[in-house]
Amino acid sequence: MGSEMKNISPDLSVQLGKLRMKNPVTTASGTYGFGSEWADFYNLSKLGAITVKAVTVKPRMGNPMPRTAETPAGMLNSIGLQNPGLDAFLSEKLPYLRNFDVPVIVNIAADRIEDFITLSERLDAAEGVAALEANISCPNQACGGIEFGTDPVLTRQVIESIRKHTKLPLIAKLSPNVTDITVIARAAEDGGADILSLVNTFVGTAIDIRNRTFKLANRRGGLSGPCIKPLALYMTWRIASSINLPVIGMGGISSAEDAVEFLLAGASAVAVGTSNFVNPMIALDVVNGIREYLITQGAESVKEIIGTVR
Amino acid sequence: MKHQIEAPILAHFQRNAYEFEIILEAPQIAEESRPGNFVQILYDQSFNPYTRRPFSVFHSDPKSGRISILYLARGVFTKGLRDKIPGQKLSLIGPLGNSFQPSTKLNVSHILVAGGVGAPPLYFLAREIKSDPFNECRVAVINGARTQDLLIAVDEFSELGAEVRCTTDDGSRGVKGIVTDVLKEMLEERSGEACVYSCGPTPMLRTVGELCVQQGVSCQLSVETMMPCGMGVCMGCVVKIKDSSNETGWAYKRSCCDGPVFQADEIIWE
Repeated sequence: MGSEMKNISPDLSVQLGKLRMKNPVTTASGTYGFGSEWADFYNLSKLGAITVKAVTVKPRMGNPMPRTAETPAGMLNSIGLQNPGLDAFLSEKLPYLRNFDVPVIVNIAADRIEDFITLSERLDAAEGVAALEANISCPNQACGGIEFGTDPVLTRQVIESIRKHTKLPLIAKLSPNVTDITVIARAAEDGGADILSLVNTFVGTAIDIRNRTFKLANRRGGLSGPCIKPLALYMTWRIASSINLPVIGMGGISSAEDAVEFLLAGASAVAVGTSNFVNPMIALDVVNGIREYLITQGAESVKEIIGTVR
Repeated sequence: MKHQIEAPILAHFQRNAYEFEIILEAPQIAEESRPGNFVQILYDQSFNPYTRRPFSVFHSDPKSGRISILYLARGVFTKGLRDKIPGQKLSLIGPLGNSFQPSTKLNVSHILVAGGVGAPPLYFLAREIKSDPFNECRVAVINGARTQDLLIAVDEFSELGAEVRCTTDDGSRGVKGIVTDVLKEMLEERSGEACVYSCGPTPMLRTVGELCVQQGVSCQLSVETMMPCGMGVCMGCVVKIKDSSNETGWAYKRSCCDGPVFQADEIIWE
């Protein structure tokens, strides 16, 4: 009877450094707002963690329209980090999230190291923040707009600076738009990151041939959705098998089966992103589907399957 | 409240060269829908098309638990939608967005300006205005399209007892010209207070809005934008709206949840 009960309900919890999640599913930043939009669909406490939209020190207006373009099995976006800023996040968004029994991961973005430091210090002091995720895919003002996350020296610098100003678990969110993602991952590890999350969107574009214009006002945007899944899965496997930090895998996850692939490839947790737009129940469906998969595999814990495909 | 439901298709028929109506069983959405609300539709899990598309509610009947959608089968998404048959289900999320707020004053002339597929939410609005037994006010509809094959919901507006004037760019039905020519005349000839409500392509909305602002007439516009999520999270559907709390005097607001209906005098046209 005892062992039968175990089989019915496998242990879904995972531990990524100091970050404990009751199941291995979070949301990808920018695809889940600040959580309140999901109140009509399910209780946020059912997820392993909530990763909120990128927060910057000052409010950001965002980019002009059009900001999105659909592509085969995916979409391009160039939103420009529109967000209400750190003060409004702390006073208006975070209190709502404290109502739920779920770790809140705050994605932070800045184009200067000083701003990353401000964000780290103030979020470190705030009640109800479980971890910080550094969005290092932003252009660095001081270096002529080179993205922090495409250069190992800048990556190490920015992660080190954040590290000095927070005791929270620090996640470095890696850009896939690099020649060798393991070089950047090592730089983030050397800088003091506790966890790596990957991948952010792939830079791409689309052209309207009738009007002979780009489909996005910003000309280029980030590609996400099922079309990037094989690329993201490969990068996840590569990082998980060569770097000694826990990984949150993401990129095109649209089903529990997709999520299981990332876990088997070595991710300790997964994030559901753009598919939240298509199916608002998807993150919860993924949690339930992972549980069912473990039952059919006779696994008592999700930890038994992580990284088992080498 | 937003509902995600697998709605059975009860009927699906062609009304005109490109115009189709689809009737769905969606009790929660029928109960809560207001004129101007929309639903996000997905008919396929094959990622082609990948994201949902917004469709305004045309008819909504809480008693029978049914809603209907009118659309023109002219794009990739709508051509795929056309192939769905009764008995199959469509995935819906709704009702979404804000709604038109018709004036409840007595003796107001309500002028509804529809461009092409902008007609369905205005029909829902006209029906609501006409259903007030204590307020037999004038409802005038200007319904325009490029050609008669693209005019939709013309008969329904007439059946409600609204004054309907059609315009087509090629003169194939009604006045040859555009809706704003007729609106301009109507506003100039009006006696007493008028309220304008409009839905259609952006250049048309802009002209409608600017005409009304010039004439000091209250005007609500339902904007058309891309809407990848429809639930307020992707920020892909924004419109520039006046905002005095902001240093710049404006902010990007989401048409899916702050709109799609905005007051004409608060929109900053680009």
